[in-house]
Amino acid sequence: MAEKGKRGTQELRLDPRTALLLLLFVTIVVFSHGSPYVEFALIAALLCLFFCCGLFKSGLKFILVFVFLLALQYYIFPVAPKIFADFFSILTFYTRKVFPCIMIGTFIVKTEPMRYLILAMRKWHFPQKLVIPLSVTLRYFPAIREEIVYIRDAMKLRRVTGAAKVEAYIVPLMFSAASTAEELSAAAVTRGIENPAPKTSVIELHFRMRDYICIICGLLFVVAALWLR
Amino acid sequence: MVDIRNVSFGYSHAKDTLKNIDLHIDAGECVLLCGRSGCGKTTVTKLVNGLIPHFTENGHLEGRVLVAGMEVAKTELYELSRRIGSVFQNPKSQFFNLDSDAELAFGLENIGASPAYMRKRLNATVQELKIERLTHRGIFSMSGGERQALAFGSVYAMNPDIYVLDEPTANLDGDSVAVLRRQLGEIKHQGKTILIAEHRLYFLTNIIDRAVYIENGEIVRIYSREEFLSLSDAQRIRMGLRTLRADALRATGLPAQNDGHVLEVSDLCCEIRGNCVFDHVNFSAGSGEIVGITGNNGVGKSTLMRCICGLAKEKSGSILFDGRRLTPKQRNRACFCVMQDVTHQLFSDSVWNECELSAGEEGGPEIEAVLRAFDLFEYRDAHPMALSGGQKQRLAIACGVLSGKKILVFDEPTSGLDYEHMMAVAGIIRELAQKDHIVLVVTHDMEFLNCVCDRTVALAFNGKEA
Repeated sequence: MAEKGKRGTQELRLDPRTALLLLLFVTIVVFSHGSPYVEFALIAALLCLFFCCGLFKSGLKFILVFVFLLALQYYIFPVAPKIFADFFSILTFYTRKVFPCIMIGTFIVKTEPMRYLILAMRKWHFPQKLVIPLSVTLRYFPAIREEIVYIRDAMKLRRVTGAAKVEAYIVPLMFSAASTAEELSAAAVTRGIENPAPKTSVIELHFRMRDYICIICGLLFVVAALWLR
Repeated sequence: MVDIRNVSFGYSHAKDTLKNIDLHIDAGECVLLCGRSGCGKTTVTKLVNGLIPHFTENGHLEGRVLVAGMEVAKTELYELSRRIGSVFQNPKSQFFNLDSDAELAFGLENIGASPAYMRKRLNATVQELKIERLTHRGIFSMSGGERQALAFGSVYAMNPDIYVLDEPTANLDGDSVAVLRRQLGEIKHQGKTILIAEHRLYFLTNIIDRAVYIENGEIVRIYSREEFLSLSDAQRIRMGLRTLRADALRATGLPAQNDGHVLEVSDLCCEIRGNCVFDHVNFSAGSGEIVGITGNNGVGKSTLMRCICGLAKEKSGSILFDGRRLTPKQRNRACFCVMQDVTHQLFSDSVWNECELSAGEEGGPEIEAVLRAFDLFEYRDAHPMALSGGQKQRLAIACGVLSGKKILVFDEPTSGLDYEHMMAVAGIIRELAQKDHIVLVVTHDMEFLNCVCDRTVALAFNGKEA
């Protein structure tokens, strides 16, 4: 997750608990409604959220992609060769179906730093056994990306070709993962991660007016979707 | 403050890593643990911070260790961690969060400190350690030196009484070492107790009170600061220790006149995502020459190396080999790079196959000769990852030699090495040069630079701000 550029939007951020609730609501709506009106309204509402939080670029990108999907379904597939239409229509249909989920997911990744999401899960008393592995996993993705750059460089200078390439990525990654895991846990235990005291947080979470508005809107959508089914 | 009483320890029952260690450290003292690689100094730090016996499985421990009134073996690690702060060697594997603010607060959040106290401690940490530039940052956008400074800050925020540092400078450049020296000065001034295991010694001369010299798991002698600093160079080298002085750069020779191959870098400029990393870099190197590339982190040393090897594209300027301009693809085939972490460049399931990957299947006799020269022949069937760090490095170098490439680039080949291993690497590099390779060495290790390089090219900040 990109942590950069998040400070600028700090004032416009939702409480992470609201964001996670919205993710839940959007998922319920997406998998229960059949009405295109609800779909359009939901996407419009999400776009409002994007623009209110200053995510103009991604908002515009989503508009373009959605218009493109609609154009494909209504104008291109009917006139396209059958094999092409058959092949892509299922993909297009499902992309459109889960489109709001992708939007809210992007929204969370773009606006909520990891530590806020973890804190939200702690507040809701998600078990530590889930929270710690999740946070370590998320921390590990960028580390893998760093390593892959090195390995790719090294391969370019060697004669590694074809299927050997896959192995050539995996072997060094596995070994560095093993040593990283060992070193990381040594650093963790010497900083008291095993302390049974309830963990505190330097950041504090507050529901604000905008959080209530978002939650109410989300609930309305859930009700509407279930009603119109 | 720290009391190690007649401790022996082995990672397995077969062999003792430490034998009869007796060491007493007073509050406010700074004690250096020094000695050759594998002498057991890291193990002593683990005795103090509790990783032994709590984190090390199947170890075999005799004797008692008391730290800040607690018996280490009988105290939980999280209790110990409130009084003892630990900083480790690898800046990559010491953080748990993606952003630096969360990382600084990590230890305090674990002990359940109140938000108000945490804010106070965090502000104090940032001010006293002067690490404003590290706040509100993504950790993956930080350099190794910045990550290490952050790890130190994160421990400092917990306000321990004792700091245990295990080779904290192994991966740091000169500027970052200076930052660590200042931070250590600050905690020393505050009356904290410091135990530090290190190979690089020059930056510690003003901070340490005593130096403990360890050999084969035994304390050979404990020096007072004055005694330690008055060691002659001959004595120091006999003990296998790195230099005690901050070396000035001596290698300033002229390009050698020769009739072999010539690598020429002409007016080179590189950009990363539109930002100029360096501009107008000019130098040349001939067969048999060893040229050092220096400069602090962030000046673009590694970008320059990647560009020479054809892993990064030049923005303008050119790289010529024997007067012919090479494209990045051609440079891939002409250059070999021995990386700082050689784990990333060993791909095969045995040492022999690793070499065949470079030499081709018909290179048998040549592989044997090279492996013998690098003391690796007896390991020819071993898995490369099962080798020691130094052996892995030699294997990577062997692969470079076997690939028949004329330009060999070494990226920080001495990070974390003691005196003898450093000299061994220097010997290998000199031999490669004698066999008419063009050798480029990227390093911040002045001692190494002075003992191996004919000339240096210093990169300075350019375009981008420091």
